[in-house]
Amino acid sequence: MEEFDNTMIGRGRDAIDMIIDPDSLQENVIGSYVFDPEYGMGAVVGTIKLEGRDATVIANDAQTFSDRFPVVFGGIIGLEEGYKMATAVYRTMEADADKPMEEKRPIVLIVDTPGNGPGKMEEIAGMNKSTGSYQLALAEARKAGHPIVAIVIGRAISGAFLCHGLQADHILALSKDYGTMIHVMPLTSISRITKMDIERLEELSTSNPVFAAGVDFFYKLGGVQEVVNKVEDMREVIIRHINEIYAIKAAGQFEKLGPWGRGLLGEERGGRTHRLKAMAQMNAEYETVADKYINA
Amino acid sequence: MKNWKELEASSFLDANARERALGMVEAGTFTEFLNPRDRFVSPHLPVLGTAVEFDDGTVTGVGLIGKHPVFIVSMEGKFIGGSIGEVNGGKMVNTLRLAEKAAVQIKAAHPDEYDARRPLVAISFETGGVRLHEANAGLLAHAEVMDAFQDCRHKVPIVAVVGSKVGCFGGMGFVAAATDVIVMSEEGRIGLTGPEVIEQEMGKEEFDASNKALVYRTTGGKQKYIMQDCNYLVEDKISDFYDVLAKVADLSMQQIEEMRRIGSLKLVQEQMDLVKLVGEMQPKDSMDLWKYYGNESPEALPEMSTAEFLKVVKRRVRK
Amino acid sequence: MALTTLEFEFKADAPKSIAKEWSHLGVTGSGDLEVLMERKDLGGKTKAKVVTPVVGFDAIWEKMINKFVVENNVGDVSIEINDDNATPIVVYMRLRQALAEANAKEGEQA
Repeated sequence: MEEFDNTMIGRGRDAIDMIIDPDSLQENVIGSYVFDPEYGMGAVVGTIKLEGRDATVIANDAQTFSDRFPVVFGGIIGLEEGYKMATAVYRTMEADADKPMEEKRPIVLIVDTPGNGPGKMEEIAGMNKSTGSYQLALAEARKAGHPIVAIVIGRAISGAFLCHGLQADHILALSKDYGTMIHVMPLTSISRITKMDIERLEELSTSNPVFAAGVDFFYKLGGVQEVVNKVEDMREVIIRHINEIYAIKAAGQFEKLGPWGRGLLGEERGGRTHRLKAMAQMNAEYETVADKYINA
Repeated sequence: MKNWKELEASSFLDANARERALGMVEAGTFTEFLNPRDRFVSPHLPVLGTAVEFDDGTVTGVGLIGKHPVFIVSMEGKFIGGSIGEVNGGKMVNTLRLAEKAAVQIKAAHPDEYDARRPLVAISFETGGVRLHEANAGLLAHAEVMDAFQDCRHKVPIVAVVGSKVGCFGGMGFVAAATDVIVMSEEGRIGLTGPEVIEQEMGKEEFDASNKALVYRTTGGKQKYIMQDCNYLVEDKISDFYDVLAKVADLSMQQIEEMRRIGSLKLVQEQMDLVKLVGEMQPKDSMDLWKYYGNESPEALPEMSTAEFLKVVKRRVRK
Repeated sequence: MALTTLEFEFKADAPKSIAKEWSHLGVTGSGDLEVLMERKDLGGKTKAKVVTPVVGFDAIWEKMINKFVVENNVGDVSIEINDDNATPIVVYMRLRQALAEANAKEGEQA
């Protein structure tokens, strides 16, 4: 693997400092709620200020280790982390419950995670519920009006990216020059599991966005809204997107945001052009029979 | 194709996706969307030399149970492990959107009869999650499904139906967890990380993926029922799954909301209590928890028939 | 690495089309295939299109489908197959089942 001396991988806490108003992080505090600092240490949650405005930050901390759940390290989202992140979102909604939509505070997701907790205890307790909770919480907050911006600073891998990132309004990513990784699985593993020839896969991976790894391909699919080319620009770009999202929500255009918005963007950028065709045909087929089911 | 009565009496486990779709609604009421004749195959598989299927491995459509339109998503595990790509992912998302649209239409047309005509979504999961051949598109589709679930919340109940060979893993594992109601047979499995990957991460001493009994104890229907991670455990018969859908269709939205396991701060707190217990207990096997919840002889539970099991089992007590 | 598409035409002695306008059977699973049959005015002929990852068995496909068409007097039917490495005997069996399905009355077992 190439070496990136400027990489942000494993540096979630540094990224927070680079993005927020100086020294404004109140870790483990959201509204009137205070988190247990020993719980889910692979996730950092708290209140920050961006140009003087309160916001919630949720980031991965790759430098922790848990005795209770030893599979959780290096930015992995474990059982505790998922529920902690979900709690941060629910507490954010609670803190602004009485505020009008345009005053609901933003949520900034700083993404650097290689996966969800893959252990036996995780399966027994139901790791799927932990990551699912967090996603539902983010979807609810997004629809309630909180602008949610995710920025991929390091690794955004498969299910962990679904958990922490893919429910945001807009997703940003540091350019590949920083060693940023977005993918479901490395090609070597895809080759092993699908029994497809690695050389052919490598050849295809240079041109096929639905299949290839990397920030630029996700951009083409609409999965990344904007690529941030310089780490110094992260703060400014995040603030710009928050303001854009406020405006889009104020205009009631929620469908331009979040996962559905990324689908529209993917078509516009020529990366995912078949799903909307399939949907349009289904809709037409539904129309011809709808009456029978609506008035059964 | 078997007729409806024969289908109902058949094994759910052995049924293909289309048979399950037909069997989950009343006889003769199913209309398939993007049926095989539409030939909407994945455009991404041929370049990789992988065989295609006319429905891209997912049957979608609508049928009826009473006056309730039942929107169906049924996955075919025999086609690339039931994996989710661009086209079948789009079919799944759009089925949810159509259900939501139908709810609006029914409210407008029958404002006084909404409860009796409220749509239902039933998803027969048989999948390992993202289809690696078109991984990025599959991944993005998962996020769209979760988003559409949230739009259906409190309006259209979503039922996860899990009793097929592949189980429900990967990203679809948390999609299933995010539904309102889960019905399983003991042959069904739901999880995030599949057994082979756990073995790879933890070593064979910790988790032997070839140990079928262990695999079922960890993610199978009985374990999920004890943990309150599935609401109904039924025999492996299509009619048993159908009966649950018919029952759920007539429940109030309040009753349905109470069956959820995640999706609110209160539910997150309940799950955190479970995580605390697991962190302290460090169970080596699901049976440690079964015993904790009051099952004196946990090793006897896997051997029992579903009916026997349901008579004697003690489950996690919900708040 | 791509899929192979094969197209054939056959003629039986006393061709008879299917009862249903169209019919579908099977799953493109490993070692298996799906069959889509459609009634079509082809002057008594049967057209077949096979999409498969397997290379180099064109003659066997032609032979098996011809055997099916001739033995069952199939005509004015378009057959489309998506295959994933099915053996010739599975191909023949699925075609027979698909034909039974295509001629079954609605709601009746094929």
